[in-house]
This record gives sequence, structure tokens and C-alpha cells, in this order.
Amino acid sequence: MAAIKGKNKVLASNPLQSLTAAALLLPGVMLGVAQAAEDDEFNFQYGRYEESHRNLGDIKSQFDPISVDSLQAGSKISLTDRVKFAFNFIQDTWGGATPISTAPSVRQGNQPLVVNNTLVGATPYLQTGTPQVVYFDNQLNPLKAVMDENTGEIMSLGVDKQLAHTMALASPETRKEGNFKLGYEWDEAAIDVGGGISSERDYESRFGNLGGRWDFNQKLTSLNLGLSYTNSDTFARQDHDASTYIDYVGYARNMKDTSDVQITKGRMLTGNRQDWATNMGLTQILSKDALLKFGVGYTRSTGYMANPYKAVTVFFVEPVGGQVGEYSETIPYVGQVKAFLEKRPDLRNQWNFSTGYVQYINPLDAALHFDYRFFHDDWGINAHTFEADWVQPLGAGWTVTPRVRYYSQDAADFYKPYLAVMHATDSDLNNKKDLNYLPANYSSDQRLSGYGALSGGLVLTKQFAKGLTLETGFEYYNHKGSFKLGSGGEGDYADFSYYTANAALKVNLETVGRGMSGGEHDHHAMHHNHGAPLPAGVMFGHVMTTPGDIMIGYRYMYSRQDGRMLHGHELAADQDIVSNGCNLEPGLTCRTSPAFMNMHMHMLDIMYAPTNWLNLMVMPQFMDMDMKVRSLGGVTPDVNRDHLHGGHETGGVGDTGLYAMFKLYQGAGHDINMGVGVTAPTGAVDIKLKRMHTKDEGYIHYGMQLGSGTWDFKPSITYTGKVDDWSWGAQLNGTKRLENRNQAGFAFGDQLQSTAWGSYSLFNWLSASVRGIYTVQGAVKHQFNAVIGDTSEGSTPIMGDVNPKEGSMDNPKNYGGRYWDVGFGLNATIPSGSLTGNTFSVEWLQPVEDDVNGYQLERNGTLNATWSYGF
Amino acid sequence: MKLLLIILPLVASLSGCAVAPWERGNLAKPQMALDPNPMQTELLGHSHGSREAAGAGSSGTGGGCGCY
Repeated sequence: MAAIKGKNKVLASNPLQSLTAAALLLPGVMLGVAQAAEDDEFNFQYGRYEESHRNLGDIKSQFDPISVDSLQAGSKISLTDRVKFAFNFIQDTWGGATPISTAPSVRQGNQPLVVNNTLVGATPYLQTGTPQVVYFDNQLNPLKAVMDENTGEIMSLGVDKQLAHTMALASPETRKEGNFKLGYEWDEAAIDVGGGISSERDYESRFGNLGGRWDFNQKLTSLNLGLSYTNSDTFARQDHDASTYIDYVGYARNMKDTSDVQITKGRMLTGNRQDWATNMGLTQILSKDALLKFGVGYTRSTGYMANPYKAVTVFFVEPVGGQVGEYSETIPYVGQVKAFLEKRPDLRNQWNFSTGYVQYINPLDAALHFDYRFFHDDWGINAHTFEADWVQPLGAGWTVTPRVRYYSQDAADFYKPYLAVMHATDSDLNNKKDLNYLPANYSSDQRLSGYGALSGGLVLTKQFAKGLTLETGFEYYNHKGSFKLGSGGEGDYADFSYYTANAALKVNLETVGRGMSGGEHDHHAMHHNHGAPLPAGVMFGHVMTTPGDIMIGYRYMYSRQDGRMLHGHELAADQDIVSNGCNLEPGLTCRTSPAFMNMHMHMLDIMYAPTNWLNLMVMPQFMDMDMKVRSLGGVTPDVNRDHLHGGHETGGVGDTGLYAMFKLYQGAGHDINMGVGVTAPTGAVDIKLKRMHTKDEGYIHYGMQLGSGTWDFKPSITYTGKVDDWSWGAQLNGTKRLENRNQAGFAFGDQLQSTAWGSYSLFNWLSASVRGIYTVQGAVKHQFNAVIGDTSEGSTPIMGDVNPKEGSMDNPKNYGGRYWDVGFGLNATIPSGSLTGNTFSVEWLQPVEDDVNGYQLERNGTLNATWSYGF
Repeated sequence: MKLLLIILPLVASLSGCAVAPWERGNLAKPQMALDPNPMQTELLGHSHGSREAAGAGSSGTGGGCGCY
């Protein structure tokens, strides 16, 4: 029995995970001879999540709701017949308004910010602000008094049934994740080991997992087992504005003062959490047209599991006494408002049970998928998920899949929209005595409330003959308290909806390889080896000359600026920058300059050859950047004026390139081609700084915007040559802004770049290159449109342009320059085996000389890495 | 454990209805894959996981704070 118990522990599990694991492992092998093993592939996906505005009662939030841009790229490859390797890179950037607390509407958690009779925003109010007190009846219901506007007299009283979220803006933040899986397959079994890391500004998660699969019963039955461990750290810098309003007394031990001398005393919440998860999945073929699956899972989570930015509104209630005169009978109680950072138990046991059924519909060649999942945890939450998909192939490689999903959950035991405790308090923050009157745990996070969610969507896929699959999908999700199974759902104030849209591309490397057996394969391998290997940083260098050929590529670029400030090509002293770096307006001096800036760019490269002399290219880009700002020497840091709060981040979709490339000349060992194209302004140029220190801020620095905002013309001309093991090339390329200014009011300068390189083949698959690059770029033209807000440093508002102008990076003149770089690169083209036709290249660009316009940070270098695959 | 006691006999009883390898053509079709759209499923799973209490269970596969 003990043995069985022990076994049972291992077998318990998380069904969604087991199904996912099953999905990852099974298609193919489980089904035995009828289906091949999972193919090698490269995949790429862009996803967009956008939430609706929240219902705040009488006030409309001025903030845009949360939106998330996600980027995912991954590959699965067979290292040998039996050893499989998969890796993924995932990046999400989000920003926007999110609820930080909930209170009765009479509390007025969101107040319109009116300066000089102009509505300039809406501000969250957690503790201070009017009213600081709320009146309650005998049942501790909050009372809403209707006042006469002129006399201030109370006209009527009633129970305030309307709750409202207090919304606060989260500035853009980026999460990056890398993960891998290494597996070994036998004929009827497989094991795999995997792991990864996920990192963002305030959270880091490291995880590892083990999985196994065993097919038996003539491969009619398949058993999956999985075990995973995750260790996560929270290090959440508390919002400056919220610091004075949120009560952190429950977290005295987890709070540490940030030691950054450039910031007035800040608070950082730290915590650690660990998750152990096990799962078991069973898949059974029922007939030649149906299969069934089961999963069980168990997850044990310990440590800090609360949300470090969410607070619970607490009313400390006491008899009102004689304060309200004639209303003393109808208003027995008055509550003093405080907001406490939420607390959750430090242990959570979670169980999952799931089942699924897949039925082939013969007359329509379609498949119906139905899944049900039950979740239970010891926080008091039971949840049900029902999902149905209809996968309908339409012919010619098209498949359409309508999906529908229903989810319902109970509230956690400690969930309360707000708390009212029968005890008086004082107005001091972080008073330990308050804790005596609060429950052990409390949260008003909507995720722990009782509600239901109905969602539905569509996936459309098109498979091309060459093993290329494009997929696009959409889901609309509606969260409502009234959708909860049974009764007791949260009020309609918490209702919201969102949509998720995605576009994905998959290249099946096996299909391509199989489709090109024999001579044709050799032809392709040779084709992609033909011509000169290009350094990773050179684009538009090759033209494919076989009509119908497709090339998929992925480019990554990382560049960093760090350290010294330059003026022209000389070092700039801080005092010089202070006096002359921010001369956008007469008399303006600089207070800050960048300490460092990182830029990452991911670019997908899709190229098609309709004829032997023309190639068409589409290049979507994804950017993310972060910058830290420092006070200049001799300037006393002023937290109300300089945005010195731990760095800025932006990220998301960048500009999209559309190009045509022409073969101008092709001779023995010499090629000349020309590229013409445009970039469409799909990247945002209107990202603003978050309102901080009770002051509105304008646009974030020019260099931190995600695109140019203008349509840009991008011509290029390239010459490449090759003799034996030596190859060389030269290119001239330019960027001409086709508009004088973008929607935010400015335009980046035009750019001209010339480059020349030489390359030597060390082996038949590997070459090394050296390259010289000279770049000229103009300064930013015009400047950001004025953003009207309160520019005062005191309490009396003065309306004016609140765009930041006291940082050197906020001056349009401090952009562009003349740059010399030297590049060192390696280029590998796989000549044989399962990865034939794949090209990998890397190049490091080392700055040799900078001659910058105005005052700018010195460049440290740029890393280019590319992968491409032609078929 | 109880679930296993239910499932295993069920599986045992089902194993009688053998499907020969040459009869598995329909099962091998892409629309019959356990998850026909794994990339979208992963993206939606991430959204659901950051908005629903039951999503928090699927750890060990990365994710993030999901604090927003």
C-alpha cells in the first residue's frame, strides 16, 4: 500500500499540462505506423492582447487599458534519429491601466484631475483625496449621500451598491523567456528533459522539467508522466506615487529600501516562490475515428504568491457620534479609509482533472475536439473549463477552426472587494496595530473573484506545398460575474472583455527536405551555397534566381550605448552638457543624460522569387528598448522633476519593411543587385511616460519610440564577388523619410550607409568576414507635439507643455552623427544532413569612431545574428 | 487514485477494440492531432493563465508574474 501511495503521489498531476505535454509529444509516435514522428520545424508567432475599458461608474478612465504584444520564435530539430532538441524564445511587452484596488463608488477611487478647468487626466486615489471617510449603516453597508451642490446639504441617503476598481497606469515593461527541451525516443517510449528562464524587471522565474511517454497495447494507449519545478523571485519596486498611500505594514520584513542614491527613498518588495508540479496523462485510441484522453495533475506552490501592486481598501469603522447632527440616526458609523498591500497564503495545493475526446467526422473530413477540465485548490477555488473546437479542412491547404470556451470559477476564501472592520484607527500609515484587526489574508484581485468567462474565436491556416504554413487566429473573451456557474458571481463593475489576435508562420524542415530528395536537393544545397556568404549585418545582399523559391530568415540585433557622453567626437564634461545640451529653448539647461541604453530588434525575413530576376520581401520587426537615466554632475537630483525611477522600458511591433530586389548583373563570380522598398510606420511613436510624482509627463525620448512614424524609402545597391575560397562585396544603402513629420510631431533624420567586406572560407561550411561601415545620419527634425499639463513645481498649477526637455536625450539635436565601425563575422551554411540549407551567421560591430550631433552617449557595439533557410 | 481505478479498467476494456495500423489513416490526419493549433493554444493559454485563478496551476512551463 505504501508503494502504491508513493506511486500515486508521482502520478498525480496537472491535466492541462499533461494534455499540452501529450500534444507536444504524441502526435505521430502514439499513432504508430500511420503517422510520422514529429517533424523538424521553425516557427514564429506574433500575438496581440487588448483589454476593454473598465466600467468606473460616473468617471471615464483617461488611461488606455492593458495591451500586450507577444513575440515567439522557436525550432524543433532532430540531432540524430532519436535525439530531439527544441528551443523557444518568447517576449511580451505590456503597458496600460489595470485595477490596483476596489472600493464602493462613494469612495471615489478614481478622480478626474482638473487643472484650470481643463480635464488633464484621471488619478487613482487610494488613501488621501476626498473623501477620506465613508459612512456606513447598521449592516456596515456603505452609504451614498446626495448633496445639494449649492448649500452642501445632504438631500438623501441610500446604500451604495456600486463598486468600482481604482485604475492605475503601468508603464511598458518587457518579459523575456528562453526554454529548451531535449528528448530521446525509442520505438515505443520517450523521455525528455527541459528547462528555461523567464525574466522581467520585477520578476524572474527559473524552471526545469522531466517528462516521459510510454506507448503500449499496440500503440493504442499512451501514458505520459511529467514533473516540473519552478523557482521565482519577485523584486517589485513600489510606485512612488502609491508609496505614500499604500500601507505596507503586512510586508515590513519583505520591504527593503532601495539604495539608489539618485532616487528619493524607494521601496522594493522581495519574495520567493516555488512550485512543484506533477502530471499524468493517458491517451487511448477508441476506434479508427476517435480517441479519448485523461489527465490528472497536482501542483504545490509555496512562498510569496501575492501580486505586489494590488492593494485592498479597508474601512476602519467606528460609531459616528454626534458628528453628523440630524443624520446621526441614519448614519450610525463612519469608516476611515486605508489601502493595504494584498496578502495571500504562502501555501497553495492545486489539483486538476481533465478529459478530452476527439472524433473524426467522416462525411466532412473534419474533427471535433471536446475538452473538459476541473480545477480545485485549497484557497477555496473550484473551476470548470469546457472547450470545443471544430477543425474543418477546406481543401487547397486551407483549414478553418471555430473554437468556443466557457470557464467558471468560485471566489477564493480570502477574496473580498473591500474590507470593513469594526475598529477605529488613526490616519498614520504603516501602523502595526492595524494588523490586529485585519484577517490573515485579503485580496481584491479580480482573478480570485467568482465569475464566468465565455470566449470564442476562429483559426485559419493555409499550408503551402513547400512545407510552409501560415496561421492566423482571433479570440474574443468576455469576463462577467453573472456568467459564473450557480450564483454568487462578482458584481458587474468587474466585468471586462479582451481580444487576442495572432499570426504565425511554420516551416516544416522535414517536408522541405523530403520534397527535395536526390538531385533537386543537391541543387538547392548548392543554390544556397552559391554566391558569397554575407556578413550577418548585411541585408539585401542575395537575390534568389530560381522562380518559386522561398526563403525564411530571422534576424536579431542587439546594440548598447553605455558610459561616456560625447560632444562631436570628443568627451563631454557634465557641466558642458548642463549648459549646452538642452538648448531646444533659450535658457534651458540639462539636468539628466542617459546612463545606458539597450536596444533589441527581432526581425522576420520572408522572401519570395516570382521570377529569376525579381525577389519580393516582407520584414516585420519587433523592438524592445530600455534606458536608465542619471543626474548630471553638479545638478541636485529632484525626484519631482527628473524621472529617475529605475529606468524606462518600451517594446512592441516596429516598422514593417516591404522590398523588391532586382538582379542587375550576374557574371562569372560577380553579382550586382538593387533593392527598393519602404518601411510602413507600424511602430508606435506616441509612447508617453507614466504620470509620476503627481505630475503628468509627455512623450518618452525619441530613441525609445518603436518606429520612425513616417513612411521611409529604403534603396540599396550591392555588389558581391567570389573566387575560390575568397569572396567580397560592397553596398550602399539609404533611408529617406518620405514625410516631414510623423503623428507625434517629429521625423528622424535621413541616413546613408556604405559598407565593404571581405570573406574567406575556412571550411566548406564555415567562413569568416571582416567589414568596414561608414554611416551618416541626420538629427531629429522638428519635435514632439506639445502635451498640455501642469508644469508647476509647486502646488499652484501652471499649464504648459509637459514634454520632458531637461534630459539630453529629449533634445532632437542630440540625434544622428557620423560613425565608423568594423565588423567581425562568422557564417555557417550546413551542407548536408537534416539541417541542409540552413545558414547561421553572427557579426560583432565594433565602433571605431563616433562623431555625434550634439551630446550623445558613446556606442559600445552591435551584435547581429541571423538564421535563414531557403527552399 | 480513485480516478486511476476508474480509468485503468476502462482502458483495459477498450483495448479489446483493436485498431490495426492500416486503419489509423484518419487518426493520423492533422485535424485529429491532440492540439491542432499548438501555437495559438500557447498564446491563449498565457492570456487565460494571467486572468484566471485556475491558470496558475500550470507552472513549470515558464510564464511570468502576470501581475498586470
